[in-house]
Amino acid sequence: MPKQDTDAPMLQLRDVSKIYPGTVALYKANLSVRRGEVHGIIGKNGAGKSTLVDIIAGIIEPTEGEIIVGDKKYTTLSRIAAKREQIAVVTQEPQVILDLTVAENLFLGDFGERRMIVNWQELYAKADQVIAKANLKIDARSKAGDLSMSERQLLLVLKACYVEDARIVMLDEASASLSQDDERLLHRIIAERKREGNTVIIISHRTDELLAVCDRVTVVRDGRTLGSQDCSRLNKETLSSLIVGEGFQLKDVFGGLDSTKVKSNQVLLSVENLTRVGAFQNISLTLRKGEILGLAGLRGSGRTEFLKGVAGIEPAEEGTVAIGNLKTRFSSPSQALKSGIVYLPEDREHEGLIKSLTVRDNLSLNALSRVSKRYIINKSSERKFTSDVVEALGIKVASIDQEVNQLSGGNKQKVVVGRISAAEPQVFLLDEPTRGVDISAKESILTIIKERLSAAAGVIITSPGLDDLMMICDRVLVLYKGKIISEFDRSEFNEGDLFLALQGGTKSQKAAG
Amino acid sequence: MSLKLRMELLLLDNLIWVIVAIFFLFNLLFTENFASYDNLINIVFHSSILGLLVLAEGLILIIGHLDLSIDATLAFAPGLAMLLAMRWIHGGIDPVTTILITLAIGALVGLFNGYLIAKVGVNPFLQTLSMEIMLRGLVLFLVPLSIFPLSRIYTYAGAGRIVGNIPAAIIVMLAAYAIFHLIIQYTTYGRNYLATGGNPKASFIAGIDTRRMVISAFVIAGILAAVAGLLTAGRQGSVSNTMGTGMVMYAFAGAILGGCSLNGGKGTPLGMLGGTILLGMISNSLTLLGVDVTLVSATQGALIFLAIILDRGRERARNHLLHQEQVKKLALEPGQQAQQAG
Repeated sequence: MPKQDTDAPMLQLRDVSKIYPGTVALYKANLSVRRGEVHGIIGKNGAGKSTLVDIIAGIIEPTEGEIIVGDKKYTTLSRIAAKREQIAVVTQEPQVILDLTVAENLFLGDFGERRMIVNWQELYAKADQVIAKANLKIDARSKAGDLSMSERQLLLVLKACYVEDARIVMLDEASASLSQDDERLLHRIIAERKREGNTVIIISHRTDELLAVCDRVTVVRDGRTLGSQDCSRLNKETLSSLIVGEGFQLKDVFGGLDSTKVKSNQVLLSVENLTRVGAFQNISLTLRKGEILGLAGLRGSGRTEFLKGVAGIEPAEEGTVAIGNLKTRFSSPSQALKSGIVYLPEDREHEGLIKSLTVRDNLSLNALSRVSKRYIINKSSERKFTSDVVEALGIKVASIDQEVNQLSGGNKQKVVVGRISAAEPQVFLLDEPTRGVDISAKESILTIIKERLSAAAGVIITSPGLDDLMMICDRVLVLYKGKIISEFDRSEFNEGDLFLALQGGTKSQKAAG
Repeated sequence: MSLKLRMELLLLDNLIWVIVAIFFLFNLLFTENFASYDNLINIVFHSSILGLLVLAEGLILIIGHLDLSIDATLAFAPGLAMLLAMRWIHGGIDPVTTILITLAIGALVGLFNGYLIAKVGVNPFLQTLSMEIMLRGLVLFLVPLSIFPLSRIYTYAGAGRIVGNIPAAIIVMLAAYAIFHLIIQYTTYGRNYLATGGNPKASFIAGIDTRRMVISAFVIAGILAAVAGLLTAGRQGSVSNTMGTGMVMYAFAGAILGGCSLNGGKGTPLGMLGGTILLGMISNSLTLLGVDVTLVSATQGALIFLAIILDRGRERARNHLLHQEQVKKLALEPGQQAQQAG
């Protein structure tokens, strides 16, 4: 056992790839994490971070490459092998059982029972010790459901670090739901693990956190790893530029269109001080006819919640939404639809499609009044109408009577886009319209948005990455923790600045408009 | 899509009618007296009341809920209406109004169920379970002894015959199925109804008033149960407190056999009709075959069980067929695949 050698790698990935039919999630990724090191992994959404984490945790099987833990070589780490190698993962959404007590959650899987009888007194005493060790102030006998989100997350960190005593602890965006005090606690626990010679891997969006806590950081970009850097030699700007990459240019297809476009001054939608406690606060914005407005923000920044608030799906509590002559706050999507607002859900499979119905049924759902007379659907005009939509949007179907579930992701998304545009609304709220679709479908969906949807209406669009927004938006608002913190006009688009703003930083050139 | 695949899908989607046909042929060969005109008419006649309940339950299942209270509504609606018409109101009420009152009572029961389920958020199982128990109790209290005789206007639909010796009850049932088939297939309401059942969340977001759809489903079920109640009362010439007892279980069986799913979104009136006919044929042929009366119920249960297993295999076969079709398609475009992976 080369225990004294602290430079010896604890965990290595060599040329690991994960290829799905049609997409490459990770390509020849390399990673080397030393014993007693705090190692950060950072990258944009969809860069391949979570694939990397899942491979190390033994949740998914790599297509090729090898994983070396200590001195053992694996081509695939199963969940059981990962457990045996003492690799623990703390995920973003705390996976605790709400009806069990804190102690039961901590020791779940191994209650230290003898002949199936648990010594509860001993268990609670042990739990108290663990909690005391972390300087936490929670009762081992209280239900996990009574804890705050932040405390639940810490509970899992304690389980991984103290109960399982894992050699490698991976924190997958674990600090996202932590309060400030708890974040400090987490950082102390991390430092302590490091002193004891254990390894911690932190996956995060947040550059400042990684720079403060990690020894080294590995950047993942477009499914490739860029090599590890010492944190002492990086600052927020250099790290951000590594994450973003140099080669990014606005696509000409979209860039050219814009300068010639005459923007109307007609305000379609104006939102004033819209608030839903815990989701978004005091959001005000205006949307003009023909404008594409981007809402950028990290996960949990409140972008989805805001759009759902405007559309009345999860109604806002304060503030107003003005459209046409109406100044109100919608309390149901059917009201919003009547006033000309439609919402495209980010969760296409569960909130966008009616999978048991055909392509035709899905496409005509929001346009039934146009293909019917006195509530009776005219089947032939419905067929013609949906065939036209299929053709116009380039949806690949065998027949319009095909079940919508048989389509590919991109075509499913086009069906949802087709459905909502058939409602001929004034305002489109598009929540991650390019989520989970391949590159070519992504481009054609963005083109549809640019050329069709925004022609007679206003569009508000969100996206997990900045690329989409920079390609088609006239203006981008950055949301951070439920508030708008800055605004960029198309002329000011710069991925580096935008990326910094996503992290909560302000624009370098001038204050937020 | 090839013609062969289309035929295969058509057969699978209408599997219940295939089962009905097989069972029919089986009985044609092995059951004496089965194939006579009178017996066949008899099967449909005896299925007509259950058929209305199957339709009611099936429509509720399509929208993604369930209703345990329809067989109590079957007794309660005509029970209360006849009490009003014949005992409580001096001078009585004319028959047409009485029939309308019966339907209105069924609708009100449904409205109450639907409102509590859709607006207040009560679990449909618990809501309709308590409704079933309560209505059964009320019927027992209100109608401790049968009310009879009923005037011919009430008994005609349940017991009367039209040309060809065809019972009027069959016409009532078939008319109900036809109406709902048309509503589901050809109206905007029907489309929104199917969408709500298929994915309530997506439908809500798409701007459909899904709560109103659910309430309307329970109202429809209540009305259909009341119609079934009128037929029952008409057939036996009286209103009794035991009408419809236990029928809700058969209503579920018929609807599930007809292609409905407890998860909602599936099923058609045509399929439900097939389920109803199958149930009717099973009990008829067991009687004709001379199966011991005490064993009829158990045998019926076993046969329903068999049919349901067969029906679940259908879903798999269907997915398998569609999957193979996709694989075939991918094999045809190898160039595109390689491009995407690279």
